[in-house]
Amino acid sequence: MKNFLVKDLMVPLSEYATVPEGSTLLEAVMALEKAQEEFDFEHTQYHHRAILILDSNQRVIGKLSQLGVLRALLPKNDSIRKIEDIGRFGFSTKSINSLRQKYQLEAGIMGDVYKKAGRMKVEDYMQTPSEGEYVEENSPLDTAIHQLVVGTHLSLLVTRDGEIIGILRLSDVFAAVFHAMKDSESDR
Amino acid sequence: MKELKKLLDRIVQRVNINLRELGYDIEPFVHGLIPLNQLVKFYAFYGITPHHPLDFQFKHSNLSGSYFLGKCRVTNSLLYKSDIRGDELKQHGDMFRFKDLEILINQDEGIDIEDSFLIKTLVHNYSHDPETLEKFFIKDTLSTHYANIHGSPSAGCFLGPFSTVDLTTIRDCVIGAYSYVQAGEISHLNIDPGTIWVRSPDSFNFLYRYSAEKLSNYIHFTPGASPKGLFMDFVEDRKKDFQRVFDVVNIESSRSVPSNSSLDRYAVIKPHTHIGENVLVAQRAYLQNSWLGKGSNAQENCYIINSRLDGNNVTAHGGKIIEADLGNDVFVGFNSFLRGCPDCRLIIGRESIIMPHTIIDIREPLTIPSSHIVWGLVTNQKELEVNSMPIKTFSTIDGLFSKGDMLFEGRGADFVSAFMNRIDHILKANGAYFNGTEHKGHAQKNQHISFNTIQPYPVGKLEGLYPTISIQP
Repeated sequence: MKNFLVKDLMVPLSEYATVPEGSTLLEAVMALEKAQEEFDFEHTQYHHRAILILDSNQRVIGKLSQLGVLRALLPKNDSIRKIEDIGRFGFSTKSINSLRQKYQLEAGIMGDVYKKAGRMKVEDYMQTPSEGEYVEENSPLDTAIHQLVVGTHLSLLVTRDGEIIGILRLSDVFAAVFHAMKDSESDR
Repeated sequence: MKELKKLLDRIVQRVNINLRELGYDIEPFVHGLIPLNQLVKFYAFYGITPHHPLDFQFKHSNLSGSYFLGKCRVTNSLLYKSDIRGDELKQHGDMFRFKDLEILINQDEGIDIEDSFLIKTLVHNYSHDPETLEKFFIKDTLSTHYANIHGSPSAGCFLGPFSTVDLTTIRDCVIGAYSYVQAGEISHLNIDPGTIWVRSPDSFNFLYRYSAEKLSNYIHFTPGASPKGLFMDFVEDRKKDFQRVFDVVNIESSRSVPSNSSLDRYAVIKPHTHIGENVLVAQRAYLQNSWLGKGSNAQENCYIINSRLDGNNVTAHGGKIIEADLGNDVFVGFNSFLRGCPDCRLIIGRESIIMPHTIIDIREPLTIPSSHIVWGLVTNQKELEVNSMPIKTFSTIDGLFSKGDMLFEGRGADFVSAFMNRIDHILKANGAYFNGTEHKGHAQKNQHISFNTIQPYPVGKLEGLYPTISIQP
């Protein structure tokens, strides 16, 4: 495999979906859609899967993933929390799902769930990147693969002199590895 | 006293280290909970009988007001008015069954308490953990008022007042006030106060959670204060009655009991109390104007007042029965609080099961029909209907079932039969079935106990610590 560096595969920050802090989930999803439309798919077939949240100094303060957005759809109140808490006591997933569905049906809370979720703030659902989610732009790809696997991350934030300049997506790393595997087979 | 303070700090630190993952700090709960000068006031005592191994080792510990029976080791610990009752420990040569295995016990089991602080706690039964069959360990653990550690090895745990861990190995857990846990093995869990959880993996799972608001009338425990609520008031109101039995070294019992029954000299027996045959009355039990029919028992911290127990009634550790009439074979679980009143008696029909940590507190007469199972909080007929079921109906549950705040998953028949077997085992162990020659139990074996008392250093740097003591036959 070619000796890729992280910067060879990263998506520059300017091409990624970003929103300022204080945005709603709907605004974040719209920014994602816009970034997809403008993205150059010449070198990759994969879509973006997250939105970065920037502070007023344009610094990345969080990452909103697809799961983060879906989490906003889950009803939150004491009854639901109580049902979710039952998992700690060894009740089966089947039973917990059945209790949740029964409750949602009885409480009639599925109605305008999408509208409500769209109005929620990104800060409530974003994740603050952990130490293992940063990688320097000149690091070899092996280092990034190690961080992705050990931390089970879907992407890493690429840095230059401590500033975030791009994002390294698992899908792009996988594509590079996949092509390298194919090439090594055909070289035999 | 300096050494005592060091010991307490060390125990708190060790428990906190174990609970760091839960982000739980016990220091605010423990600070001032038992003033250290209390720990120098009381003697400890250990029982000698021909039926239990004589093997005690106490090292660098305070044992104030605590009771020991059977093989026990206490190291770097504070035990305040606790009962370490090793009369059900496994003995050399016993066979322990675990699933399809039969495991030979190759030495007498011992209760091993290390780096722990137990306050008015009962330790009883034997280790049910197949990984530690000969050592029932309690280490880096702090348990508060009237907690029960029953057949449950514990490491790095904090137990709230009136909580019970039963037949469960617990590691790095917080057990909230008045919670009851019987779940085999748990770790890194913070159990909220008033959680009643009985689980046998692959068979059944029972969960009931008290409303925090309602439970707080009975017991609540907040940082910087002693446990408060009706349960505490109830036992505090009767504390004086115990003073005489503990103050006098050789007390003469004014009461004769049948030769096949056992009345511990550290129990309080008030007038007009009848003790039938094969009855066991343990230390720190309190009986007043009550009838205990054949084969009944009152364990540690039980209060039976103005009540009648027809016979073969198990009142588990900490059970309280006031102004009530119980038919034959009624089981009252750990720390249950059953309170009628003179003009509104509580009547419980025969063969009913009152689950551990049940509160029945009524202001109008209430009758629980026979062969019913009752759980949770019941203050009137309506709540009884929500929090009880005929045992026969409960046995038909298969799958997920909920009623009121109770949730059950699994086979009801397995749950009921587990309870029935347990009750039968308790009756057997207590000597309820003794026929004059066979089936001796605690009621017969615990009759002739001589108690020896031990005292701490009275002054100086080691004030409050007991000297290292090893007692062998």
